Amino acid sequence: MLADVETKDIKVEGLSYTYEGADSPAIADIDLDLEHGKLYALLGRNGSGKSTLARCLNGLLLPGAGRVVSCGMDTSEPGSVLEVPRHVAMVFQNPDTQIVGATVEEEVAFGPENLGLPTGQIRERVDRALELAGITSLATRQPLRLSQGQKQLVAIAGAIAMEPDFLVSDESTSMLDYSARVRVLDLFEQLRDAGMGIIHVTHFLEEATLADEVVVLESGRLVAQGTPQETLGDPQRVRSLGLDPLAVTVVAYELARLGHAVPEDVLTVKELVSWLYA
Amino acid sequence: MVGRDITIGQYLAAPTLLHRVDPRLKLGMVVIATVLVFLYPGWPLLVFALTLVALLAICRLPLIHVLKALRSVWVIVFVTFLLQLFLTPGVVIWHWGFLSITDSGLSNGIIFSARVVLLVVLLSALTMTTPPLRLADGLESVLRPLSRLRVPIARITTIVSITLMFIPNILDQSSKLVRAQMARGADFESANVLRRVKDVIPVLVPLFVKVFHDADDLAVAMDARAYGGGKGRTRLYPLKIHPTEALLSLAFVAVAIGILFIPLT
Amino acid sequence: MALRLRLEGVTYSYPLPGKDEAVAVTAVSLAVEPGDVLCLAGSNGSGKSTLAQVCTGLLAPSSGALYYGDERIEGRSALREFRRKVGLLFQNPEDQLFADTVEKDIAFGPHNHGLRGDALKARIQESAAMVGLPLDELGSRSPFSLSEGQKRRAALAGVLALDPEVLVLDEPFIGLDFEGRQSLASALTSYRAERGASIIIVTHELSHVWSLATTFGLLSEGRLVRFETREELLAGETDLAALGMQLPQWGSLARELLRAGVSLEDPADPRALAGAMARRREATDGR
Repeated sequence: MLADVETKDIKVEGLSYTYEGADSPAIADIDLDLEHGKLYALLGRNGSGKSTLARCLNGLLLPGAGRVVSCGMDTSEPGSVLEVPRHVAMVFQNPDTQIVGATVEEEVAFGPENLGLPTGQIRERVDRALELAGITSLATRQPLRLSQGQKQLVAIAGAIAMEPDFLVSDESTSMLDYSARVRVLDLFEQLRDAGMGIIHVTHFLEEATLADEVVVLESGRLVAQGTPQETLGDPQRVRSLGLDPLAVTVVAYELARLGHAVPEDVLTVKELVSWLYA
Repeated sequence: MVGRDITIGQYLAAPTLLHRVDPRLKLGMVVIATVLVFLYPGWPLLVFALTLVALLAICRLPLIHVLKALRSVWVIVFVTFLLQLFLTPGVVIWHWGFLSITDSGLSNGIIFSARVVLLVVLLSALTMTTPPLRLADGLESVLRPLSRLRVPIARITTIVSITLMFIPNILDQSSKLVRAQMARGADFESANVLRRVKDVIPVLVPLFVKVFHDADDLAVAMDARAYGGGKGRTRLYPLKIHPTEALLSLAFVAVAIGILFIPLT
Repeated sequence: MALRLRLEGVTYSYPLPGKDEAVAVTAVSLAVEPGDVLCLAGSNGSGKSTLAQVCTGLLAPSSGALYYGDERIEGRSALREFRRKVGLLFQNPEDQLFADTVEKDIAFGPHNHGLRGDALKARIQESAAMVGLPLDELGSRSPFSLSEGQKRRAALAGVLALDPEVLVLDEPFIGLDFEGRQSLASALTSYRAERGASIIIVTHELSHVWSLATTFGLLSEGRLVRFETREELLAGETDLAALGMQLPQWGSLARELLRAGVSLEDPADPRALAGAMARRREATDGR
């Protein structure tokens, strides 16, 4: 274990992973430091390795080369298999295939039950998680009968009940409609404010603009890391990474070509329109 | 999702009195009742059937769902009835050509098909009122002594409960595949039975592929929440048998056994 | 131009015993012309998938009328005939791929319609080419061995092979990345150009179809609350957030500019937008 790693952070060093039978690695040589209390957006085209990286963070996948030290535990060590999920929780893309419980509260209790906690503590954690996620009123409902957005909130509550330091969202908003996505992102921001680290893998660049830090993968390698303004401000660069550049950045680029200097950190419609009136 | 009724094995959230009963008691009652169903001769079987229906009604179990579950097995019941009806030797009471029905045939037909019906009712009552994970908990608790023989009971019971949970998934998936095929010209409404059978077969492989895929997703999600195979798992609602329900279950078993000894011919 | 598809006062309802509410579509009237790309948009539960299935003849309306060209479609056999002219692509390729090989899967539809021999082979080749699927490489492989993107192409090829005049796609862009969306959009555009087909895309994500769609049909709780072009949508006051949706950034930028009095020829062209903004800025600077 590294002495200089803050026990609440995730340190990725020289990480590579190749799927069985694949010709080339899904991710290669990734170095990354992830701090708790920050919201990260992980972007990249399909096949760039985002999901693979996400799954290495909580030990679901073990490094082929390099290491991942999550909250002080090396994920390759056999003893960490049951420990790491306590600290790094995960929610997945499909709301339907991650649900086990017959009622929402039993679903949320699944994690703490696996941890062998006494009934009283399980009850507390479940209630707290339901409240944080804003779904206390759904406690006795059957999860499979809820809307897709509500199901994802249940899944996130289930993850929160583990009381993790980090939450990894593997495209958990991809299948949701706009209003559900807003609720999920709001919850992520709340959790971040409470000190949790959130790593949100997403296709939606507008969600990435809400992040504290954006990480971009391309062909398995880390090619960009920085604030949303730094990483998403240049539409040519964004396009070359296989991503759909934000409309505002494209228009800002065209305006610059016409000789107008638009401030560099403009990413939203509000900001661009206010420049118009400045 | 295409509309579907509650089918065999599916949990139903309803305010029945059986929902909160310890799953071990329910399992015990169902096992004993199943054995008795096969032991009862004619009239006691009817008495038991009426008792069972009355009990379920008192417990506020919506019988309509039981009827729907029966609907899916009516073929088996009907075939059982016919086989007994025409193939049991005895005193002939009716014949037409080479087909003949005997008195024993008639009574056996009714008895055997009634047995199938009662089994379905018992099973449905169990699965309708017991969520899969709870059933697994109960099974695991009952089978725990076997773990000393190194039998992986936790895994077995998890498999049982997840299989039950996947039944609606499988039905959903097959209806989606059927719709996709219909949208490309397959004819599931054709009068030609051979054609219909031929069109169903292509659904089976992708069905399995998708279901395995989903099962895999589920396994990953469970791993992510530190599922370790069931060892050392605690419960939000631990299993606890209350004296009242224990007594009532014993009473039910006593009555059921008593019916066996009623002197009826 | 003759209308291709028309719905008049169509209602469809069925109670779902397993769900808490019935999914329904109420009193929907709309018209689609050849070459139209209609986006049926709404949040989850708005009835858009149900409406799409009515448009393809998979579900018969409970009341109201469905017209194809001049013919009214009613009755089981008419619906079955109608289904032959409409192609439906489901959201998940795994829900619709089922043959042993990719080639056989694409052949399934046209074979059911009676195509054989060389004509069948040609149709398969055409469809695969249109979606960019290399048949010589992948034709004899199992559909399940393909990558996600290849599966989608194979599924689309299977539907295009029916040579439909109306093509309905249910959430086709979900899970695709930018390049995936672009290549699907261009396959659809070529098919529409070549065949004069009408395309109906069901989605909750307007950004995916923003430049592709000619008309937008917005659904809320089973009712069609808006049926208009992109320009009308931008000029109007429809509160999309109330419908559970969001204008893509292109749209909200264009709308803000229109409200500020900036005139736009093409609200989807960045150069036009930039030009218009520049002129406006210069005008205010000059004051």
